[in-house]
Amino acid sequence: MIIWGSGDRGVFATLFLYEIKRLLRYRRVILIAVVAPLLLYPVMIFILRRVDQSEARRLDEAIYEYALTGDEAGWGRAVLAKALALELDQPGEDHVHVHFEDRSGLDAEAMLQEGQIHVLVEALSSEEYERIRAEEDVDSADSQGGGSSDAGGTQVVDVDLPLRIIRLKYRAQSDFSRTAADRLRERLVEVRGLMRDSVYRAGGFPVEPAQVGTVVTENLASPEKEGGAVLGLALTPFLLLLMLTGGSIMAVDAISGEKERGTLETLLATGASRTEIVSAKQLAIIVVGVAVAVINILNLLLYLVLGLFQLPENFAVSLSLLDLVLLLVLFLPLTVLISNALLLLSGYAKSYKEYQIYFFPLLLAFLAPSVAGVLPGMDLHSAVALVPVAGISVAVREIMLGEYDWIFLVLAQISTSLAALWAARLTERTLSTERLISHADLDEADLLGGPALFPRHVLRWFGVMWVVFLLISLWFGQELGLRGQVAVNLVGIFLGGSILMIRHYRLDVREAFALRRVHPAVWLAVVIGAPAGYVLGIGLAGLVNTYLFPVPQNVLEAFGDVMLGNDIPLWQLILFLSIMPGVLEELAFRGVLLHGLRKIVGPVGICLVVGAIFGIFHVSLFRLIPTAYLGALLAAVVLLTGSIFPVMVWHAASNAIALVPAYLGWVSEDPALPGWIYGAAVLALAVTFWILWLVRRPYPGLRKTPPPGLES
Amino acid sequence: MKLSTVHVQDLRKTFWDESRGEIRAVDGLDFDCRPGEIFGLLGANGAGKTTTLRMLATILKPTGGQAYLNGHEVTAEPEAVRRSLGFYSASTALYPRLTARETLEFFARVNRFPADKVAERVETLVERFGISEYQGARVEKLSSGMKQKVSIARTVVHDPPILIFDEPTVGLDVMAALEMQRVIRELRDEGKCIIFSTHIMSEAERLCDRIGVIHRGRLLALGTLDEHRERTGQHYLEDIFVHEVMAVEDDLKESTGIGATGELEAGP
Repeated sequence: MIIWGSGDRGVFATLFLYEIKRLLRYRRVILIAVVAPLLLYPVMIFILRRVDQSEARRLDEAIYEYALTGDEAGWGRAVLAKALALELDQPGEDHVHVHFEDRSGLDAEAMLQEGQIHVLVEALSSEEYERIRAEEDVDSADSQGGGSSDAGGTQVVDVDLPLRIIRLKYRAQSDFSRTAADRLRERLVEVRGLMRDSVYRAGGFPVEPAQVGTVVTENLASPEKEGGAVLGLALTPFLLLLMLTGGSIMAVDAISGEKERGTLETLLATGASRTEIVSAKQLAIIVVGVAVAVINILNLLLYLVLGLFQLPENFAVSLSLLDLVLLLVLFLPLTVLISNALLLLSGYAKSYKEYQIYFFPLLLAFLAPSVAGVLPGMDLHSAVALVPVAGISVAVREIMLGEYDWIFLVLAQISTSLAALWAARLTERTLSTERLISHADLDEADLLGGPALFPRHVLRWFGVMWVVFLLISLWFGQELGLRGQVAVNLVGIFLGGSILMIRHYRLDVREAFALRRVHPAVWLAVVIGAPAGYVLGIGLAGLVNTYLFPVPQNVLEAFGDVMLGNDIPLWQLILFLSIMPGVLEELAFRGVLLHGLRKIVGPVGICLVVGAIFGIFHVSLFRLIPTAYLGALLAAVVLLTGSIFPVMVWHAASNAIALVPAYLGWVSEDPALPGWIYGAAVLALAVTFWILWLVRRPYPGLRKTPPPGLES
Repeated sequence: MKLSTVHVQDLRKTFWDESRGEIRAVDGLDFDCRPGEIFGLLGANGAGKTTTLRMLATILKPTGGQAYLNGHEVTAEPEAVRRSLGFYSASTALYPRLTARETLEFFARVNRFPADKVAERVETLVERFGISEYQGARVEKLSSGMKQKVSIARTVVHDPPILIFDEPTVGLDVMAALEMQRVIRELRDEGKCIIFSTHIMSEAERLCDRIGVIHRGRLLALGTLDEHRERTGQHYLEDIFVHEVMAVEDDLKESTGIGATGELEAGP
């Protein structure tokens, strides 16, 4: 166990102080990792502010040009004149009024597209509006196959027939066009209100229209509570980010650096115990991580004082001494967990370069649960309190709000403390293993390269694939649409990545993809197993949703809309969301990934790792566990059958079962199934694996288990 | 057990390789080393020398057998063992950003040398190894010869009774190698118990009081140079070594039909 005070304090203190001393002498690292960001922040903030101010000024000072068309142009001109008069008479509070100029011409639509005008105002009778809409609907249906898109945004004001309609057309990609439409729309809505009131009065409305009633909202939260709510959301991820990046400066050198230099063996041959060495390195990482976090926070405070950026108006945070103590107590196990995770990473990596490759996934592994506090509807009264890091994140938010429950606070603290202790133990064990030194040596795999080296590199490849996958989803997810995503993700990343790995490491295609024949009884198992596995997946998703990550209904609906679309034929959906994932995802995950892992971990480990990676690739918190479950299940099938074909069918069938009833609208409002169905599914899955076991053809070349007492 | 000695009994180390299965890197070694003696382990690359010495330094755990250093067993009392020995190998580097003097102070302290005597001890070694001129310079700025001196001083800074030198002259030029041999002889004369591994025959011939020939993790022969000569009828150590190794290889070839020499390093 790692106990700070154990052993000879002199040795521990010497180890710790020399760690710090060596780091402080690494001037380039200190300059680049600590000083440079401190100096860059104000420059960055200053430039951003200047750009922002100048952009706002340009938008305010610009003269916006519009054109007016439509069969009710005369009426439209009168309404527009009133709106422009309002704009001139009553400039907005936070910016000067916007000037508009009439540039009505012959082909206003083309002028808008070419940027000659900023906004097109169409004044239409209701009949004309209906006719145009009908034409546009036909056009849009015709253009589906070509994938063209409407460049302009459209806003409709006053569609309440039989009144006349003013339609504003603009180009959303232009700041000027968008601003023009927004401002004009605001003024037109005001004019509509005034016109409506005058109609009411003329019609003999018995009271002033404004006296009919009004709605007033009142916020009971104090500024402190509002401030606490905002700060509470960001505090844990922010501190985590600072601690991880700061602690990493120390951690990268702590073991992987020592390995690379050759000083680790020197150190391990001294009279210092492993516990003292690990503890000193841990403390050094914590101290440096905390120091970097404190420096950055002080830096931010300094910029606040200097007025380089401002907090929101009325922003206030009020914390009692007890709250501060609680926050410190909560962050303590988190810092220990971080230092151990970094040290473990450093011990696992053979060199600086390898450490840097592994650091990004670790960063995400910490940040993902820490954003738990930001999720809508998340509070500490759920199983989230038992999830390390996530529990702390939610607890911190509740303390900042001043509303917390002691029992769950303690649970959150205990869960992260246990994780920290476990990580500490693992780190010490890692430092005691012989791999620590042997990894630094050139071994047979390094010499042979190719297939011998592939197991060691496979996770790295999938790490890179995941980053590419994530970035494409974030940057181009919307634009790509369903077909584009299938092409890029399934064909480009999964199949392309698999082929690259096979070529680079000279792997046998049949072996890497597990293209082997299976016993006919396996197909019976697949027919039983796929629906049973799917039903249990639904149950698991329900449990996750109820106890771990409550997913708002609108998120689920939005997800369903994206997946199902509303204009894609069923056969295409089955092809893109069932058959292609069934084939291509299986080739990548249960094919190449599993092939690479077979020498690294045992069968259970393979299922867990393949499942976890498959889950992570679905880039969604609420889908993580159900997809990881499916991934692990399919990995087990491949290990028992030695073949990829059954899981291709299983995966495709599972997706089709999810897809087709939803597409056809057969799904009831209440997604929960009766309890007996889950029982039957468990039984069916047991029968499936019993069949698979009876006719098993185990995956070849699995890792041999070392006899007791021998370390691999 | 007599103090300040090394006693190795049936020492074994088996590695597990996922594809090759069990590899016996060290297979039942027995030897002793006394104070004031240089015991040489002579073997080809991959013979098991480094694995043996790493087990004595408690960096690797033995799979079987025992090894006592200064009366402490390597598995039972690893820290006491490490305090009793100085370990030097071509792969034990120094911290580049510490000065020569700081390096010596650091290793004296972490080896639990009495805190009030560290400064005096460091001063003595600085003088003895001629480091005084560059004692304030960072190790990264030193030439390889200077680094070698600091490394040796680092190995003996806590005045251990046992010293292990694992191929210490690998990568050194002739003059530096001779200087290293001179220092090791001096240390032997001071009564240190020294275990020295090499694959350079002339070095072993010149330096070692007793020599153990190690091959495939086993000790093929053990004795003084004269005893080896007498037993094999060969004069030069190189011929003695080849004689011992070929006898084993021939036996192996006869029993299995496979002959193998010059394998890759078996263990870490």
